[in-house]
Amino acid sequence: MVLLGTVLIMIFPLLWALTTSFKPANNIYSTNPLPLPATLGNYRFTFAEFPIARLLLNTFVMASGATLLQLVVSVPAAYALVRLRTRGQGLVLVALTVALVVPAQALIIPHFLLATRLEWRNTYLGLVVPQLATSALAVLLLREHVRKLPPTLASAAILDGATAWEVLRFIVLPLLRPSLAAVGIIVFINTWNEYLWPSLIAPGRENTTIQVGLALFGNQEGQDFGPLLAAAMISTLPIVAVYMFASRRIADAFLQSGLR
Amino acid sequence: MTSMTDQVLDAGPRIPAGSRPGSQDGSPDEPPFAGSPSLSADDSRGIRLDGVVKSYGSHTALDTPVLHVPEGSLTVFVGPSGCGKSTALRVIAGLESPDRGRVLIDGADVTSHPPGARDLSMVFQDFALYPHMTVEQNIGFSLRLEARHNRRKGPTRAQIAERVRDACSLLRIDGLEKRRPAQLSGGERQRVGLARAIVRRPSVLLLDEPLSALDAQLRQHARAELVRLRREVGATMLLVTHDQLEALSMGTHLVVLNSGKVAQAGTPVDVYQRPASTFVAAFVGSPSMNLHPVRGDGVAFVTPGLRATVGNAASDSGRQALLGWRPGEGRLIGADSDVPNGPGMLIEGVVDVVEFTGDGVIVNCRSELGRWAVVLPAHDCVPAADERLRVHVPASRLHLFDAAGGRRLPDAPGDNILG
Repeated sequence: MVLLGTVLIMIFPLLWALTTSFKPANNIYSTNPLPLPATLGNYRFTFAEFPIARLLLNTFVMASGATLLQLVVSVPAAYALVRLRTRGQGLVLVALTVALVVPAQALIIPHFLLATRLEWRNTYLGLVVPQLATSALAVLLLREHVRKLPPTLASAAILDGATAWEVLRFIVLPLLRPSLAAVGIIVFINTWNEYLWPSLIAPGRENTTIQVGLALFGNQEGQDFGPLLAAAMISTLPIVAVYMFASRRIADAFLQSGLR
Repeated sequence: MTSMTDQVLDAGPRIPAGSRPGSQDGSPDEPPFAGSPSLSADDSRGIRLDGVVKSYGSHTALDTPVLHVPEGSLTVFVGPSGCGKSTALRVIAGLESPDRGRVLIDGADVTSHPPGARDLSMVFQDFALYPHMTVEQNIGFSLRLEARHNRRKGPTRAQIAERVRDACSLLRIDGLEKRRPAQLSGGERQRVGLARAIVRRPSVLLLDEPLSALDAQLRQHARAELVRLRREVGATMLLVTHDQLEALSMGTHLVVLNSGKVAQAGTPVDVYQRPASTFVAAFVGSPSMNLHPVRGDGVAFVTPGLRATVGNAASDSGRQALLGWRPGEGRLIGADSDVPNGPGMLIEGVVDVVEFTGDGVIVNCRSELGRWAVVLPAHDCVPAADERLRVHVPASRLHLFDAAGGRRLPDAPGDNILG
């Protein structure tokens, strides 16, 4: 009961936004929960006036690029933190935790100066590469998952003749698959919702992300909520799709891994 | 004379068994311990640890001047937890590199070789089966890697499949090939672990407590299986266990470790019947050996409630020693019966607790000299609690240890029994 109530409270604004996006302009403030009469005009207007497909593509490139890069960096990092007993390991852990709590805004200015110097403004490089600075969360999350793998598995593989790389590829990665999916989704959604950084590094109308684009759209069109909400609805669709696809995959991966 | 015990403790396997004082072994060309490590035909074959030291921080986990595992033997490393037996195994496997010293396999220095290049394989305590692979893939993993690394000389897919099939049928797990480890019972997992270890046909097979994850009933069966497997694959097997019974029953060679050092190395019979120190005496055998501090009075070793004549000049007046005897060697002497003639020990005590073990009873006694136990056949009249009893042990079954260091004394009367 409590759960249902919470879900209703959480989903109400989303539903209201959805119905409003179908309301014609003169009816936009109506309190009728159903969009009657309904219109697709807002959506038509959005697609006509706004490079929404291009912005979605930009955002998708940024989010998936950042996810891929972060996973590529954090899997070996997490594995090394757990399995290799190197000096300064404690220091690295402390640094990671600090990186986790330092707000991203604090890094914006140096990042911006650096990326501008590299002429990365309004490019995918500028959108993707600096997102690596937020890998701390992925490393720490994956470290916990690596710790749960029995260390004898790696020893057994080494005795079977595997090189360090093959241990990672044939033993560690397959067993980490469910965790990789979970961490990947967290990173993907976080990056998808990123606003401040894209607004600085890629302010161009065709080069920015959907979140920044929505704000630009709002500013341009004033208080015209219909098309704005239509655009917002379209921008959430990919993330809902990713989540639905991935949540099934997570459950699948857990069942397949044999880990309990 | 004390030099002999020194050698036993320090030199590990180099026990000059034939030169034992008091040995009544008459024929020099027939060594009394045919399987003794020091007497194997070629000392360079098998595994050798040469001056290996391994420390973790300030804790020395392993310090073995010389340790030899003869080729083709089933050598058991046994000792309490933390004695360095697993470290020794991991050093031999190459999973740990020693701080000092060399590891030699069949005479070749493999200290710097990676584990995969040492021609050995290992069965882990938790079996370490890859949970995301089927039984077949688990067993064939090493061969698939070999094929990957060496595309020309490595095994073909057909050869891999055939060798996996062979390993499966040798361990009687055919029919389980498509299952995953989570779908197997403990005994089946152990056999998959063994199959994975032998599929590469290594010359050395390392087993890290392979039976401890099995329940008691299965363990008995698995022990026999392991011995059979060794016969069929002909590899040198090195097994680590903390279970002294397992060590005694399975091994052809025994290495008892204590705090990183070799306490004694030899055949199970040798170690059981002539323990080199009180540590070995107390650790090997169940129930463990009774040890009593005694003092010589010129004729016998005495202490209140105990009198032992050992039949030689050992019991000089004032000499202190530790007298040991195995609970299974004691014979009950009725109140009105005579004590047997000849040298031996007579001990008196009061029955405290009687444990029934099926074919026998363990009678735990107390007396002025402390607690001791004796094992009696169950079909004899079993003494009741608080009953007084006398137990006799013939001199040939007695052991003498140095009172201070706990080392076996060279004139221990028990040495005679093997002659």
